[in-house]
Amino acid sequence: MRPSLQAVALWGKRAPPHSITAIMITDDQQMIVTGSQEGQLCLWNLSPELKISAKELLFGHSASVTCLARARDFSKQPYVVSAAENGEMCVWNVTNGQCVEKATLPYRHAAICYYHCSFRMTGEGWLLCCGEYQDVLIIDAKTLAVVHTFTSSQSPDWVNCMCIVHSMRIQEDSLLVVSVAGELKVWDLSSSINSIQEKQDVYEKESKFLESLNCQTIRFCTYTERLLLVVFSKCWKVYDYCDFSLLLTEVSRNGQFFDGGEVIGAHRILIWTEDGHSYIYQLLNRWAQMGAAYKTFSGLSKSIYPADGRVLKETIYPHLLCSTSVQENKSHPFVMGYMNERKEPFYKVLFSGEVSGRITLWHIPDVPVSKFDGSPREIPITATWTLQDNFDKHHTMSQSIIDHFSGFIDGSVVTSSEYVPSLGKLICGCEDGTIIITQALNAAKAGLLEGGSLLKDSSPHKVLKGHHQSVTSLLYPHSLSSKLDQSWMVSGDRDSCVIWWNIFTEEILHKFFLEAGPVTSLLMSPEKFRLRGDQIICCVCSDHSVGLLHLEGKRCLLRARKHLFPVRMIKWHPVENFLIVGCADDSVYIWEIETGTLERHETGERARIILNCCDDSLLLKPESVLPVASETHKHKSIEQRSSSSYQLGPIPCPGLQVDLSRPFNVFATKWSHVGFHILLFDLENLVELLLPTPLSDGDSSSSFYGSEILRRAKSTVEKKTMTLKKNKTLSAEATSKPASESLAQGDSANKFSEENDGIKRQKKMKSSKKMHPEPSRRVDANLTIDTAKLFLSCLLPWGVDKELDHLCIKHLNILKLQGPVSLGLASNEDHFSLMLPGWDLCNTETKRDDSRVNLFSGKVLELSNKYIATLSNQLAIPRGLENKCNSLQDRLFLVNKLVTLMSFKSFLSNSSFKMESVHNKVKSPGSDILNMSSFYGYLRNGKNGSHVPEADLSLLKLISCWRDQSVQVTEAIQAVLLAEVQQHMKTLRKTPINSQPVSLAENGNCEMMQNVPKMEWAEELELQCIRSTLPPQTPVSPVNHDSNSNSANFQDAEDMPDRCVLEESESPGEPRHHLWLAKVCPCKVC
Amino acid sequence: MATAMAATAAERAVLEEEFRWLLHDEVHAVLRQLQDILKEASLRFTLPGSGTEGPTKQENFILGSCGTDQVKGVLTLQGDALSQADVNLKMPRNNQLLHFAFREDKQWKLQQIQDARNHVSQAMYLLTNRDNSYQFKTGAEVLKLMDAVMLQLTRARNRLTTPATLTLPEIAASGLTRMFAPALPSDLLVNVYINLNKLCLTVYQLHALQPNSTKNFRPAGGAVLHSPGAMFEWGSQRLEVSHVHKVECVIPWLNDALVYFTVSLQLCQQLKDKISVFSSYWSYRPF
Repeated sequence: MRPSLQAVALWGKRAPPHSITAIMITDDQQMIVTGSQEGQLCLWNLSPELKISAKELLFGHSASVTCLARARDFSKQPYVVSAAENGEMCVWNVTNGQCVEKATLPYRHAAICYYHCSFRMTGEGWLLCCGEYQDVLIIDAKTLAVVHTFTSSQSPDWVNCMCIVHSMRIQEDSLLVVSVAGELKVWDLSSSINSIQEKQDVYEKESKFLESLNCQTIRFCTYTERLLLVVFSKCWKVYDYCDFSLLLTEVSRNGQFFDGGEVIGAHRILIWTEDGHSYIYQLLNRWAQMGAAYKTFSGLSKSIYPADGRVLKETIYPHLLCSTSVQENKSHPFVMGYMNERKEPFYKVLFSGEVSGRITLWHIPDVPVSKFDGSPREIPITATWTLQDNFDKHHTMSQSIIDHFSGFIDGSVVTSSEYVPSLGKLICGCEDGTIIITQALNAAKAGLLEGGSLLKDSSPHKVLKGHHQSVTSLLYPHSLSSKLDQSWMVSGDRDSCVIWWNIFTEEILHKFFLEAGPVTSLLMSPEKFRLRGDQIICCVCSDHSVGLLHLEGKRCLLRARKHLFPVRMIKWHPVENFLIVGCADDSVYIWEIETGTLERHETGERARIILNCCDDSLLLKPESVLPVASETHKHKSIEQRSSSSYQLGPIPCPGLQVDLSRPFNVFATKWSHVGFHILLFDLENLVELLLPTPLSDGDSSSSFYGSEILRRAKSTVEKKTMTLKKNKTLSAEATSKPASESLAQGDSANKFSEENDGIKRQKKMKSSKKMHPEPSRRVDANLTIDTAKLFLSCLLPWGVDKELDHLCIKHLNILKLQGPVSLGLASNEDHFSLMLPGWDLCNTETKRDDSRVNLFSGKVLELSNKYIATLSNQLAIPRGLENKCNSLQDRLFLVNKLVTLMSFKSFLSNSSFKMESVHNKVKSPGSDILNMSSFYGYLRNGKNGSHVPEADLSLLKLISCWRDQSVQVTEAIQAVLLAEVQQHMKTLRKTPINSQPVSLAENGNCEMMQNVPKMEWAEELELQCIRSTLPPQTPVSPVNHDSNSNSANFQDAEDMPDRCVLEESESPGEPRHHLWLAKVCPCKVC
Repeated sequence: MATAMAATAAERAVLEEEFRWLLHDEVHAVLRQLQDILKEASLRFTLPGSGTEGPTKQENFILGSCGTDQVKGVLTLQGDALSQADVNLKMPRNNQLLHFAFREDKQWKLQQIQDARNHVSQAMYLLTNRDNSYQFKTGAEVLKLMDAVMLQLTRARNRLTTPATLTLPEIAASGLTRMFAPALPSDLLVNVYINLNKLCLTVYQLHALQPNSTKNFRPAGGAVLHSPGAMFEWGSQRLEVSHVHKVECVIPWLNDALVYFTVSLQLCQQLKDKISVFSSYWSYRPF
């Protein structure tokens, strides 16, 4: 995913599945982090009143998440590390959902502990990991590179669990682990830091066989510094830490399996089970209890009470104080944890996550006590929540892309969908068997925007009826091979019926009945594979059979039904007409297509060789429905651990392999039965397409400039645009140089190489997958404008200022949002985050205000005020009207870029000198604009820095200062957008007073001139001329038909007294100001 | 379509009954069978801590190859560790007989066996608390359980079927070379691994490349078995493999274990298939 891509998610009514496999609460108790079997992480907001609400979903892992742990001192950096079954590790910044670092190592971790020893260690500390490998691995918390291992001299084995013991008494940190064989081992931690850094072998200090298997947890009692709690699946034990003597064994009753435990106080422990129960015990000392009575008549007490541990051994026993339980238990394994914070206002919290995706919290009282009669007290559930609850509660936000068709399809759910970029159409297969074909952009608008009802009726869509069961897979052959007919579409349903459609005439060309269970995927034979001149369709069904269909022949060529395991891979052998099927158990079946006979069946090594050697023939791998389902397959390579040739290629995240040459894309994802869509806006592309046609703003209603002229104009200016654009950004970029010159340089270079990488990969992917023939660059101008409008609608904070909203709707010709949008944010090409419905409630600092929609955070207002302040201080000239959309986009793009740089800061270590040389090499035409501009900027700066416009300089200073203040990209974008829009609207209001549109245009030109560096060329001027000859266009909403008379447009603005403008320049962000404003201002607008 | 709906209404009751039977009876029957098989498999690995304790029994394996008898090895396997090793090597040039053995105090863990064993015991652990008294409520639950078990079993099998591909420096650096009592001569490398059901021993004879050699030095990558001519850099020296000797011996119980893995994987998949059949009838609800 390119950094300039902005994603907006259209969730459906149903939440995506999130089977929790790992759960943790952050140290500040403001967030719950869960990892799922599906591979996503979910961030849940935890309010001070212990209310849970899901905030965002983090995508990045392609396999089930095995563990989560904090990866830094949380008060300094809110970083969390996650590890997946396939060896992927990610460090996430959980406040903004960005992936900070990632690595794939050939190890599967079961637990991770963060360790940092500030006075002996440089760097960010270590992640101590254990799992399905021998002993303990030490991984650098910052780079995720393996530092070293703790090795055992005695019977090395896998380690189940571990804990770090920090004892005040001994002034030494120790690492305690329990192996799968039940051996307790102790390593010195703080005193072996040096030897670890020098890569010397560090062996265990002590080891002891604990005589139980399946250890779940080991915990040290920090209150007494004496006891050690070890929880096994069938019993829990308490040991004396001094000599590891056994003090207590408690065996599980009625078949319960223990899952973990924690010491919650001196002699007080909490144990939880796999089925969601938990028990709080007081560890009692028999002698101490009866001591008082005992002492009176016996002088023995003194001799009995020496603290040599032997006495303890005989006297300790557990007393059950409290218990907790969940209602619907027994069916799912639970993952639980306990958060022990003694500082107010923190709570002691017991938390659990279920496979069903439910989170439950219990507030554990500081002093748990039993009932008066001594029987255990039941602690009630404090809070419980699921993703689905979020979706139900915020149903306006969980709009699916076709929800507005629900008029005639009641409650239908999209079960499969396919986006056809060449037509801009979205094909959705529904649960009830209908297939809806709609213009994707219109559908998105209708789903997102207010007043979409107008669009609902107008948006053309087709409904194909032919399936009786839910549609499970779709295929649009033309997008795979341009030679095929554009009207063809193939769909498969749950009843294993495959229909060949003509989507233009909406007729069924043929129905194939396979009788093999649900069709899980439809594939297309590669272009070079042809059977009598035609490509064929391959259907993979859920009974593991593969059917080959010949469309024109209307017949089924082959039914391959021998496979015992799910099909993972389909390969074609064009020369010999073989179909090679790879199964989940690593076996391979070779079918002869002509005769339909099974030619060969191979397993093991030979199967691997066969699959590898037909790599030159085209590979079509069915995307698995669930990432986990294909997991077993991916693991094949991980088995070869400790080999240097080991490589697990990065598995790109779903949703990122999209055709990037269009400003607007829809990506449809599907997890088991739930589908949702992600709209992707390519800012860079959008800006490029918009730039030459500022006039097209008025295009929708303009009477004197037809789109034909526009298009022609665009094509002539196209080339110039590129340079213009670069220079615009570069002039701006250059100004940031004085502030952070070397920094930006280094960053951009690094980023460039990364991006280049990404692009290369994308290209490779494209060629290997034969996605599309190079699509034409010509995109419909209307589409571009519409896309930009939709995008602006999605980003604007609505309801902050009613008047502003009004003006926006009127003059920018955009529509208000129905509800907050779920924005996506990419950290790199395969890690991104998506907001969930209801994320807007997670901002604790802003009070919920129903009129406000889509305000990312309270910070935005603050930021935009700062921005405006800088603007108005430095720039007396009002911003030009005529480049409204463009400069906005441009600025956004810039902000986006700038703040994204933040994440690449870490790479910065090289001198700017070296960077320069890198820059000089970088001259490929399609290179990153920022990069180019910074390069030019660097040159320019060296020669003549005085040309830098003052205003932009300070703005950029401000923005680069945001970058340091960890302002999130979305926040920055929205803030800048808001500020810019406010500025524009201000000028709009001023205009009628000046009533000199020409001067306005001039102003605009001035600004342009400022932005365009001195070494600009005649072409630029030419362009300027073109622009200045045109009267400024104001986009007009369809309701206002008089597009040419400016006065009519500004009627509203004219009504307003100057005061409003004044107020505008005051801080418009503060809500109370608005209350006040509403009372004072006589006009009804604000 | 209307008739189809009417038919399903009647069928539905039957289907639901059938599904209930599947969840309540059939699943448990399969799981019991699975547990039995896995128990057999794990017995082959002689899990420590399960059943009678005490020193695990030792097995001697005589490794040879059908071709030449230049290398002969007697390896003693104790559970997942090599406790003794005697390797006889007849030098090809002078027919000089070299003999080296493990140090008395040392054992060499065969990581592959240990991993496979641990994966099996994890699979068994997943099944332990799912006996008859446990009631499965949804098919999805069974599917998830089966996925988890299959994951462990696949890994167990893959650990045995795919030996690590090591580079020559990695072999030279491995602790195995330090295990021998008269230390291994510097021109010999030894590697031991499991491939499918076989215990394999490879002995590499090396010779140093002259620094002024005209030979194009290209370090070899990772491989299970390097061929003569493979080059690498060790310390400051450049070395080349001159001879490779590979001897192997079938470990019968590994063969059994592999068969058990395959059978239980198939059993799991069949159960999954049975459950999935019903997914066509239950619409979206995770059946």
